[in-house]
Amino acid sequence: MLPSEENPTPLVRLNRLNPHADFPLYAKLEWMNPFGSVKDRAAWALLRDLEERGELANGRGLVEPTSGNTGISLAAMARARGHRLLAVVPNKVPLEKKVLLKIAGADLEVISDELCPAPGLGDGSINLAKTHAKASAHKYAMPNQYENSKNVEAHYRTTGPEIWKQTEGKITHLFVSLGTCGTVTGTAKFLREKNPKIKIIAVQPTEGHDVPGLRNISQLGVSKLFDSSLVDDIIEVDFHLAYTRALDLCQNEGLLAGPSSGLILEGALEIVARDKSGFGVMIFPDNIFKYTSNMIKHIPGLGSGTQP
Amino acid sequence: MANYSHPEVLVETDWVKQNLGKPGIKLIEIDVDTKGYDAGHIPGAVGFNWQTQLQDQLRRDIISEEAFEKLLGDAGISPSDTVVLYGDNNNWFAAYGFWLFKIYGHKDVRLMNGGRVKWLNEPDKELTTERPKIVSTQYRASGPDLSLRVMLSEVLRAQPGKTCNLVDVRSPDEFTGKVIAPPGMTETAQRGGHIPGAKGIPWSTAVGPDGTFKSVDELRTIYVDQKGVDPKKETIAYCRIGERSSHTWFVLKYLLGLSNVRNYDGSWTEYGSIVAAPIEK
Ligand SMILES: Cc1ncc(COP(=O)(O)O)c(C=O)c1O
Repeated sequence: MLPSEENPTPLVRLNRLNPHADFPLYAKLEWMNPFGSVKDRAAWALLRDLEERGELANGRGLVEPTSGNTGISLAAMARARGHRLLAVVPNKVPLEKKVLLKIAGADLEVISDELCPAPGLGDGSINLAKTHAKASAHKYAMPNQYENSKNVEAHYRTTGPEIWKQTEGKITHLFVSLGTCGTVTGTAKFLREKNPKIKIIAVQPTEGHDVPGLRNISQLGVSKLFDSSLVDDIIEVDFHLAYTRALDLCQNEGLLAGPSSGLILEGALEIVARDKSGFGVMIFPDNIFKYTSNMIKHIPGLGSGTQP
Repeated sequence: MANYSHPEVLVETDWVKQNLGKPGIKLIEIDVDTKGYDAGHIPGAVGFNWQTQLQDQLRRDIISEEAFEKLLGDAGISPSDTVVLYGDNNNWFAAYGFWLFKIYGHKDVRLMNGGRVKWLNEPDKELTTERPKIVSTQYRASGPDLSLRVMLSEVLRAQPGKTCNLVDVRSPDEFTGKVIAPPGMTETAQRGGHIPGAKGIPWSTAVGPDGTFKSVDELRTIYVDQKGVDPKKETIAYCRIGERSSHTWFVLKYLLGLSNVRNYDGSWTEYGSIVAAPIEK
């Protein structure tokens, strides 16, 4: 069920939103993973690793900080294999994701958002999950997607080879977003080994953003998986554009992509205009279904006419 | 310790570990979100909820002397105890607690440098979900020291720059009025901006990446040399609800050793709602 080189997630070409014929842009539709996002790849690797190391014996469950997607993937997989997950999520996470976590069988702990975030600090979901893992070690193992090399490995083993094969080695630019940085580090590492010239472009939302799953560089301290030597450019995009571009994708390309995909598209279009020719692949992490409440917040008028 | 003016009010996580369970040394975790304490705290630590236990629940005020006595008595604390405070959000609420303990005259109160996050991230430090067994006491406070607190009327009369230093410790976006409060906060004000004459020096200026305080030399360079806080004048610190400013109050008074530093706990949620009060953006 999970994607692999033989059974990859689809790669489709943008037809309308990219005006440059000499620089085709392809979207890798990660929402075609069984549990709806790119995070299936990392979740599976994290879960299997804990199982193999015997960390989940005797009814010990998992605890993990998540903006939703990792939790949904992990909870669904864990429940299917007889484990429980406590998902620690920031309040900013959209309601749809919180409810989906419960539907997928996770226990949910929602924490208040950072009051006045400072670089590298704060309590946040990561530290609360760590607190559980430390104070109740008999109850919880913590995969810690922000520090666990299995997260990177999953993309090195699957996402990278899939893209290489699907593009027949023609890829010149990879466009990704930054959350745990598992996607960028694993995929970029594989592709750079195949062709060191491939440009890796990371797109980040402006500070104080509201794009679940993503981090601005100022918040990247928590991810031990970020490797700046694997990234050529980091493009900052006004986070509101994540939402308008997602809407563009839905209405003009027939791609029901979520806000982090919208953000990546905006960054990719900037590079396409700059570099003029190439062969771009954008990793679209998930689709729009989990973000209707956020879309209403950020797209003026979208909520009107939804009541009798 | 780093040549602070009053090094005795600050302890390191290692010191706390070495002194766990010693008689006469009491630990209190003060959180705004007590999920942290509930999920795991330092063995033996009592948990205080800043909103429900350190604030008067009827009027907007610090708790009364009697309420403070009851709170400490129920926590098994005696006036002669060494009380070590730590907490969430980089010790902001623990610093507010420190300020309150000083107002009600507790002699030996200290902050644990780096707060709960530092302890949590050190591999040799334990956490527990077990609540301590408490033998309650009859705590008697010694009369309130209100010189540590500034009320609105004094703020309105103050002449920042001339007679005093006024330090706004909120984030740059709050200082400039781009936002009235950090996103999602319930306590807010009618208007955005800052008190005219205030210097914007965010609370985080005082700490390094691990949340511990900078050295006295760094602090002096930042606050006095760069930001122009005049050590010869009285200093007033404020923020939104008085907790981040307690953190800076602690830094200026105890680490830098400025002689007259007070906390304006009414802060922006009070000032920014006053009809006809002057505001700068
Ligand atoms: C919607 C969404 N987009 C992007 C990402 C970023 O992926 P990564 O964590 O691999 O950097 C995530 C990860 O949490 C996500 O949930």
